[in-house]
Amino acid sequence: MEGIMEQPFWANGPKPGSFYDFHAGHSSKTTTVMPVKHTQYPMVTGSSVIGIQFDGGVMIAADKLGSYGSLARYRNCSRILKVNNTTIMGAGGDYADFQFLRDIVEQRVIDEECLDDGFNYTPRSLFSWLTRVLYNRRSRFNPLWNTVLVGGLQDGEPFLGYVDKIGTAYQSPTAASGFGAYIALPMLREAYERNDKMSEDEAKTLLESCLRVLYYRDCRAWNKYDIAIVTHDGSRLEESKTLSTDWSTADMVSGYE
Amino acid sequence: MSIMAYNGAAIVAMKGKECVAIASDRRFGIQAQTVGMDFQKIFEMGPHLYIGLPGLATDVQTVAQRLKFRLNLYELKENRQIRPKTLMSVVANLLYERRFGPYFVEPVIAGLDNKTAEPYIAALDLIGCPMATDDFVVSGTCTEQLYGMCESLWQPDMDADALFECISQSLMNAVDRDAVSGWGAVVTLIEKDKVTTRTLKARMD
Amino acid sequence: MSLQMEQHEYGTPMQRYWSPYAMNGGTGLAVSGADFAIVASDSRLSEGFSIHSRDAPKTYQLTDTTVLSCAGFHGDILALTKYLEARLQMYEHEHNKKMSTSAIAAMLSTILYYKRFFPYYVYNIIGGIDDEGKGCIYSFDPVGSYERETYRAGGSAGSILQPLLDNQIGFKNQQGVVKTPLTLQKAVQLVKDVFISAAERDIYTGDSLVIRIITKDGVKTETFPLRRD
Repeated sequence: MEGIMEQPFWANGPKPGSFYDFHAGHSSKTTTVMPVKHTQYPMVTGSSVIGIQFDGGVMIAADKLGSYGSLARYRNCSRILKVNNTTIMGAGGDYADFQFLRDIVEQRVIDEECLDDGFNYTPRSLFSWLTRVLYNRRSRFNPLWNTVLVGGLQDGEPFLGYVDKIGTAYQSPTAASGFGAYIALPMLREAYERNDKMSEDEAKTLLESCLRVLYYRDCRAWNKYDIAIVTHDGSRLEESKTLSTDWSTADMVSGYE
Repeated sequence: MSIMAYNGAAIVAMKGKECVAIASDRRFGIQAQTVGMDFQKIFEMGPHLYIGLPGLATDVQTVAQRLKFRLNLYELKENRQIRPKTLMSVVANLLYERRFGPYFVEPVIAGLDNKTAEPYIAALDLIGCPMATDDFVVSGTCTEQLYGMCESLWQPDMDADALFECISQSLMNAVDRDAVSGWGAVVTLIEKDKVTTRTLKARMD
Repeated sequence: MSLQMEQHEYGTPMQRYWSPYAMNGGTGLAVSGADFAIVASDSRLSEGFSIHSRDAPKTYQLTDTTVLSCAGFHGDILALTKYLEARLQMYEHEHNKKMSTSAIAAMLSTILYYKRFFPYYVYNIIGGIDDEGKGCIYSFDPVGSYERETYRAGGSAGSILQPLLDNQIGFKNQQGVVKTPLTLQKAVQLVKDVFISAAERDIYTGDSLVIRIITKDGVKTETFPLRRD
């Protein structure tokens, strides 16, 4: 990480033993340091991630498209991650930043395992850590261009959290990022408000129908998707599936030629 | 800074039971500097009909004059007083004619119908999009404050006295939380058989 | 920077601006009486025209007699409240007592000013009980300017609520009225009334209202539904 780079002992301060020098107006005295340039735009991007709590668990789903601008470039990018037996996460936004985050998370899980102290990452601890990482990166004007959902079972209770690239974070029984906030979230909320104790199968069907609508309406969405589920029996990242779609109404759409 | 807030103004109109009221502040300022404390922003358009013009002071006076001109033509042609709703259309038309170089005023109309005495209030944006409501309309530089006051103090079917108290309190407490409006206030209460205009003793800071 | 933006080519991803800040809305309100203080906030968390959460109250209990309300950028709110909690714990460890409300207010001011040139985009109001057992309110701007007051509304509907508080609690523009001291019952009712009004007109205020009533005996919490559209 960039934090490992040399940190000044006293930022903006004088060297030990010397005085502050405000060099009024003498810009020539300042050393010629080039401004640091950061990657401030996403390259390969993933679209929406959606998640919901159900009776005794949480699930997160996302499609597998890696877009390069408007080009549908990579069609098999997994954006969902099984962290451990109680925790899952999924990300939208820059794919490289997601991979960077994933590598760190996976290494930390291994480190945690090596301690062998019986403790593991919980959804809340991973979420708390992620919010600080993303917030610190934005505070250094070098954001990780992601929106991340963290899900899992926290002390046996379902947990679902959302955090974006500037550190806005919250917990909610339903969550969706990107285009999904406009299309999937109303569907998820409607279903959840009607029945907040839905079964695993109901929740899965719901997420699939959300992904289907996203595939129909979001130009950066794809019909191949991943879904990760946490229940009391543990967590699993299911094998990628392809959405069934119905385009029979397509030829009835006219007036846009 | 928005040109709409260059001179500062606050205008509100409210419906009551068989009465309406319109009120405005009296400040004329240039940005933060107060220049006048007796600036007219409410104009008579008929025996039971008034229009309030908040916005850029020069346009306030221009629009008031051009409106009076159109009103005179209307009255000569029709040989009768204009109805509030018709006046609203005249104002909307006047403003929309300048769609791409607008007068910077957002008028408020209050009046009683000259046949039925039905209360009427409406507000328009600067290009003449009208909005007639059943309760109150606000316009000027402290609309948020006015909405907060009106939304809490207003109730249906107030008599003239209650309406006067309601609109006065709404206006005065709103302008006291706005730096560019206030410096006196004027309230016009319109009833079927009389119109009362009162200037209020307000904070002059 | 902007020149580079113009040289846009096809086939490369579009350059996108980002802002380190977002406005997540929310309204906070605090009222103090002779022996109590009320800190209230709505529970909506929004961004643009989206509602992130309907259940994210913006009141934070700092000590047994101090509650903070925050509105603005939620990322900064999380960072600020986390940091405040750490500082409060450090104070407790060092001095073996809880921090007083006035001391918390002074500390918050310096914390905010420390980030003067990259501010926390947060509008803070502190409510609590002072050293003499009286209710007290402190309101802040995002860079740490602060003042003790008896009532204050802040956040996205602050300007909607404040004139009404001036009128009903401060008795402003009322002639010949007896200025009766504010009772807890009247204060709670007023807080509900003004939030109902704010939820009518402000899209960033709504869902539910959380009222924290602070007395010498501690903090009691009351919730009240607001419109959800």
